[in-house]
Amino acid sequence: MASKAQVPSPAQGVGPIYRPDGEKPTATVSKEVSYDNVHVLPQTPQLIALLTMIRDGRTARADFIFYSNRIIRLLVEEGLNHLPVVEQSIQTPVGRDYLGVKFEGKICGVSIMRAGEAMEQGLRDCCRSVRIGKILIQRDEETCMPKLFYDKLPEDIADRWVLLLDPMFATGGSATLAVEVLKERGVPEHRILFLNLIASPSGVAEFAERFPKLRVVTAFIDQGLDEKKYIVPGLGDFGDRYYTL
Amino acid sequence: MKKKKRKVGSSRGCRKSKPALSHSQANGSRAKPNPIYHFLALETTSLRSSVPQCVSWREQRTGAMESISPFHSLTQGVNYSPPWQDLSIIGIAGCSGSGKTSVAMEIVKSLNLPWVVILSLDSFYKSLSPEEHRQAHANQYDFDCPDAFDFDVLVDTLKDLKQGKKAHIPVYSFAEHQRQPQTTTLYSPRVIVFDGILALHDPRIVDLLDVKIFVEADMDVCLGRRILRDVRDRGRDIEGIIKQWFAFVKPSYTKYVDAQRQVSDIIIPRGIENLTAIDMVVKHIQRKLEEKSEQHKEVLRNLGLIAAKVELPPNVHVMSSTPQFVGMNTILQTAETQQDDFVFYFDRLASILIEKALDMSPYTPTTVETPQGNKYQGLNPNGIVSAVAILRGGSCLETALKRTIPDCITGRLLIQTNENSEEPELHYLKVQPGIEDHSMVMLLDPQMASGGAALMAVRVLIDHGVQEERIVFVTCAAGETGLKRLTAVYPKIKVVVGRIENEAEPRWMEKRYFGC
Repeated sequence: MASKAQVPSPAQGVGPIYRPDGEKPTATVSKEVSYDNVHVLPQTPQLIALLTMIRDGRTARADFIFYSNRIIRLLVEEGLNHLPVVEQSIQTPVGRDYLGVKFEGKICGVSIMRAGEAMEQGLRDCCRSVRIGKILIQRDEETCMPKLFYDKLPEDIADRWVLLLDPMFATGGSATLAVEVLKERGVPEHRILFLNLIASPSGVAEFAERFPKLRVVTAFIDQGLDEKKYIVPGLGDFGDRYYTL
Repeated sequence: MKKKKRKVGSSRGCRKSKPALSHSQANGSRAKPNPIYHFLALETTSLRSSVPQCVSWREQRTGAMESISPFHSLTQGVNYSPPWQDLSIIGIAGCSGSGKTSVAMEIVKSLNLPWVVILSLDSFYKSLSPEEHRQAHANQYDFDCPDAFDFDVLVDTLKDLKQGKKAHIPVYSFAEHQRQPQTTTLYSPRVIVFDGILALHDPRIVDLLDVKIFVEADMDVCLGRRILRDVRDRGRDIEGIIKQWFAFVKPSYTKYVDAQRQVSDIIIPRGIENLTAIDMVVKHIQRKLEEKSEQHKEVLRNLGLIAAKVELPPNVHVMSSTPQFVGMNTILQTAETQQDDFVFYFDRLASILIEKALDMSPYTPTTVETPQGNKYQGLNPNGIVSAVAILRGGSCLETALKRTIPDCITGRLLIQTNENSEEPELHYLKVQPGIEDHSMVMLLDPQMASGGAALMAVRVLIDHGVQEERIVFVTCAAGETGLKRLTAVYPKIKVVVGRIENEAEPRWMEKRYFGC
């Protein structure tokens, strides 16, 4: 087992609580950020192994799709936990009373094309008939600034909770613009949940400060950005690996 | 099941070889759903006339068959013994043509229990040398004397079964007079009916038997039956049959077979026709089984009492009550929920459980390179993760399982709780080969109340060589006492449980999932 010194920080032994620390394999886990509205998935060995799989450049496309879908489902499940519920008392098939909860409020997904669309399957796995809007934002090659090319959103989006989907969050330019678009359509900031696979620490910090009421749910906060503003270590171009490579 | 080619007419006529286990459904199944009988059927020879006698029970208080009661709940090590650990073995001896096999079949039919096996002494014939093989073909080999049987292997086999272990029954080919390389695996029968001309011959075996039966018939009747059968079914000539009769069968009867009366508990004259005697035997066995069933339930109860005093250990992971999780549980538990909604939310919830269970499998550190050439220090899963579904409910979890591991190797156990005795019974098992080497085996059951079925299933896996710490029991809902009971007996197994429910909750989830 690699000692902690050799593993890029933050390194941590990961494993279930019943396992003694010495028996937990060491891996690089997500960086921590101190924003209340940023939620990082629990760094379980299972999640780390899935991320390892999709980061690995040798992973073929079919496996990449399968494993990223599994992470996305975990993200969606965690994201949905931020939606409101109300208490509900029911009677079970065996006639017992159970005090449970009922989901409240309408939701919709909004994917930032094209990589965000890769997360739609995972969303539909958890919410069967969810409406999904789309936003196309591209980086302007000259200015390096994100630019809105297209959007198609549910008409009543202002009455809904919005799950905004984008797997890679580097500088956060596209996501920021997408949030602005949503707010323009009347979606209150606190009803936006941003679901993301891998984020850069600087990007997510800036984003969390700019939209303090919005919530970010991410699987992993990486080391940082390289000179080309790619996430390090990242996983390459998510859209390419999911759709074309 | 495999059927051995059998050679007709040449060797020794009197042997019909059916050395493999064969299944047949119960004909008159009453309370139980589809009991499965195993027949290791076979039948042998020998004969002589004898005076019909009254059925006589012998005093039988030797205690030999009450192998140490495994139901001691000691303070430090808590034990669980499945019902098959103290199985009942009924030995039936008698001459060829006396109707042993018919009596055995009748007993099995009358017991009407799942997992009753007929084991035949003929499976334990020794392999013949080329010279003996030649003799056999010339009707000159003595198949009726004790030396023809491998009693050592038989004793080991019965001992293993008596201890609840898996046993490998030899498969004997009568065509080749050789033991075949393959064996038939026998595991977890409740009752074994062991028949053969010399079933009560070896004292080591007699010690292992719960009931010792000697079937008797008039010698003329035996010979008559044997001639009819061999001529009609095996194309043998009467001369050969008679020759063999007087050369081997009858001498062996006088010398060995008849002597077994002395050790028998009961002598059944007129074989299959003697319904009174068979009825008495069946009643006796039923009484014994009831006692054992009571003991088994008592153990489960005691385990519950012990368990009530302890805390849930950390290797039991109860899913946290997040809004979504509780919400899904609410939908699942609502009686009015439509079946398609039930299935959807069940699969969704189960997927979360399976993902959680995978946290408990082993991982090793690895470094991978991203497409841009960056290094990441992550983890790789170790070895094969497989699953065993406890049917019928366990198969509800398979959709979720396949979502997570699409090609997951999956074994199956059918454990049903007897509606009358409320005791779990193992009806069927098909465990994946190589399971002992898998790094983790998930045991799937959507609901666990008292833990009886779970205890049994874990025991089955351990008996198949799975290390306790590699078993992860995955369930949507479980009773707290049941969980403690399970972990008290098997402290190293891991459990992933969706929610804690009432101990007395009947099983209903699979009904909702399958819609019936």
